[in-house]
Amino acid sequence: MPKPPPQWIVTANFTADGAVAYFRADQSFSTLLSEAAVFVTKDAAEAAVQIALANEHLVADPYLTEVAVAPQGLDALTARERIRSQGPTVRVRRPDPITASR
Amino acid sequence: MYQYDEYDQRIVAERTKQFQGQVERRLSGEIKELEFKPIRLQNGLYMQLHAYMLRVAIPYGTLSAKQLHMLAHIARKYDKSYGHFTTRQNIQYNWPALEDVPKILEDLASVEMHAIQTSGNCIRNITSDHFAGVAPDELEDPRPWGELMRQWSTFHPEFAALPRKFKIAISATPGLDRAAVQFHDIGVRLVENALGERGFEILAGGGMGRTPHLGPVIGQFVAKQDLLSYLEAILRVYNTYGRRDNIFKARIKILVHALGVEEFRARVEEEWAFIKDGPLKLTQAEIDRVLAQFAPPAYETLPPANALLDSFRLGKDRDLARFVTNNVARHKQPGYAAVIISLKEKDTPPGDMTDHQMDRMAELSERFGFGEIRVTHTQNLVLPDVKAAAVPALFAELQKLGLASANANKVTDIIACPGLDYCALANARSIPIALEIMQRFEDIDYQNDLGEINVKISGCINACGHHHVGHIGILGIDKQGEEFYQLMLGGSAGHDASIGQILGRAFPRDQIVGAVEKVLTRYLEIRSSLEERLIDVVRRVGLAPFKEALFGPPPARTAQELAHADH
Amino acid sequence: MRIIKGHAIVDDGFVHVADTDEIPASGDIIVSLDRYRELRSSLQQRSGKVGVRLHSDQEAKLVAEFLPSLALVAVEFPGFKDGRGYTTARLLRERFGYKGEVRAVGDVLRDQLFFMQRCGFDAFELKAGKDIEGALKAFSEFSVTYQAAADEPRPLFRRRA
Repeated sequence: MPKPPPQWIVTANFTADGAVAYFRADQSFSTLLSEAAVFVTKDAAEAAVQIALANEHLVADPYLTEVAVAPQGLDALTARERIRSQGPTVRVRRPDPITASR
Repeated sequence: MYQYDEYDQRIVAERTKQFQGQVERRLSGEIKELEFKPIRLQNGLYMQLHAYMLRVAIPYGTLSAKQLHMLAHIARKYDKSYGHFTTRQNIQYNWPALEDVPKILEDLASVEMHAIQTSGNCIRNITSDHFAGVAPDELEDPRPWGELMRQWSTFHPEFAALPRKFKIAISATPGLDRAAVQFHDIGVRLVENALGERGFEILAGGGMGRTPHLGPVIGQFVAKQDLLSYLEAILRVYNTYGRRDNIFKARIKILVHALGVEEFRARVEEEWAFIKDGPLKLTQAEIDRVLAQFAPPAYETLPPANALLDSFRLGKDRDLARFVTNNVARHKQPGYAAVIISLKEKDTPPGDMTDHQMDRMAELSERFGFGEIRVTHTQNLVLPDVKAAAVPALFAELQKLGLASANANKVTDIIACPGLDYCALANARSIPIALEIMQRFEDIDYQNDLGEINVKISGCINACGHHHVGHIGILGIDKQGEEFYQLMLGGSAGHDASIGQILGRAFPRDQIVGAVEKVLTRYLEIRSSLEERLIDVVRRVGLAPFKEALFGPPPARTAQELAHADH
Repeated sequence: MRIIKGHAIVDDGFVHVADTDEIPASGDIIVSLDRYRELRSSLQQRSGKVGVRLHSDQEAKLVAEFLPSLALVAVEFPGFKDGRGYTTARLLRERFGYKGEVRAVGDVLRDQLFFMQRCGFDAFELKAGKDIEGALKAFSEFSVTYQAAADEPRPLFRRRA
């Protein structure tokens, strides 16, 4: 079966808190991969990167990355982008053991 | 420990104010991210996968109780209530907001702490032996010299834009090394020469990363008062001649290797000749001033600890016995001990600690010591001045906090970098591998049977997890966007330093821990005695038996090959 | 163009002359080291001050012998991360005793000015488009320094009360 044509999203980090940011169709940014605008040409994605670069008070270090469009939504294609979209795969806060006194 | 005077305090306060202005200019758009990045790096602020990360300096791994309370407060107020201790004795916070960072720096400054130069192409935190000042096997406490180097390197105006980062470590234990000095850009050993004089042996060009190197000796015996000028000469040669064309060839180890040790030393000594008798020569007054701040605390006169500690080791409380055997180290002062607090608990990322645990640890350091805590480069803590008689009581408190793992230097005492779960540089995750190993080997009796095993895991070639110098080293790599792991054996960061060798093809995520298990099973089969450690076996028999355990026997040789081999 | 000299903003009296350009008959000029070596005698006869511009890979010692005749040495920073110029300036001042103007040119930003000054720079061509008035504030951001440098021969430990 032929490989589907590549599609891209534009992602960055929010300047305020470094959270993962995805470029939306309305040129705003979302923390959710599912809301990312999908570009079918690399040029269109590059143009979005330029828009992001002009908004450094909002986001930093924008770049484009490939995605797969599946029926249930967008799929990141690398371990790195998967983890960016879902958060750390290890528990973030270590639970405190029950203590007799505090 | 060192107490800031008004100058130290003002320097940190003014830096905080400067960074506040820079953050404002970043947020207003006056400076671009491209210009802001090196600024924020030199203030310890990274951009990672999910958030900023702030790396706070803990000079030569020494903390006061008050400082540890503040680190807890920062975790609670500005982050997600935990912190992570690193292989350079620093602490990292994974979730600060940019506009909060100046406030965090202010809070840190109020307890004589900072995040200065913990990243960027500058001189980084000076690290040392976690038993400095209390170890019976040291010549003298190296930390005063660490403090002198810290002050010399902080905001050094000439060396703020080096070709690459620069890491310095110091130790003072002849024949031993708990600070991995051979793997630093500059390693400083406090030594005694044949005449009984004390001075420094200076190594340069050690490092891990893409091309691990043991640092050769450049300055064989540098007098104490010449320490800073000698370092200045090395840094000046590096700043001038270090490569700037290729980020992977920019460390000083590349320069030392390219020039050769003789030529590198010649350039250093040529520069040094100009400056060694200048104002950089340390005065006795300054040496005395800083030494005085590291004077031993008011130890009580107590009977020697050995008999007491032995009685715990052989006693009925087996948990305490294991803890004393593995985690309690000898102390130079009779009746005292240094206790390793393992931050390697099952289901917890190695080196992580909650705010609650930090606050309780600070309290314990005052109750069971003189209010001092150490951070090890293996991502554990140390209470350095515990009365041997008080060890059982301390152990009971540690158990309540989940900090009583008796696994120091055992297979579950793993070094792991944050890896792809957090780090923008990573190729693969390291924490889940560590957690799986900790789960697989959780049986403490099995761990004791396996003996001393240093497992070190890095998520990328930058080697923050020190994988090159693990008895078992694991390196995460990216193969077509997926996580694979290289396994290596036989590394060591101690005085008998060696670089681990790769065992064969990389393993996928779901096979790496099984591979580690096969290696350890084979080790148990072929060790010559219970005392022969894994590293000793590897040095005795090489990799072949372990490769065989992993990949099966090598293909049979043809008669022709065998005939050839006989010649 | 406007430059920072000392802690003030002034109009620059010097003109950078590219290697391929003719040397103007009069006025104060800055030429590359190679050009200076080539045209030294004629430059000395010319009226107007002469300065030499060093690339980031040209060490201070290369220009040392010419310093008595030079009004200015300009040190290039091709990128602000290339820190060789800091060493060059310090050596010009501390090793070779140069008293003329040492000017930072190239990718020179506000956030480097304090360290540059410490290393002996006393003039700065700020990168185009940057706020030159705001940049002046950089010089007063630190009132205490640990190290000896071109601006202070004694490390703090020799200055502590």
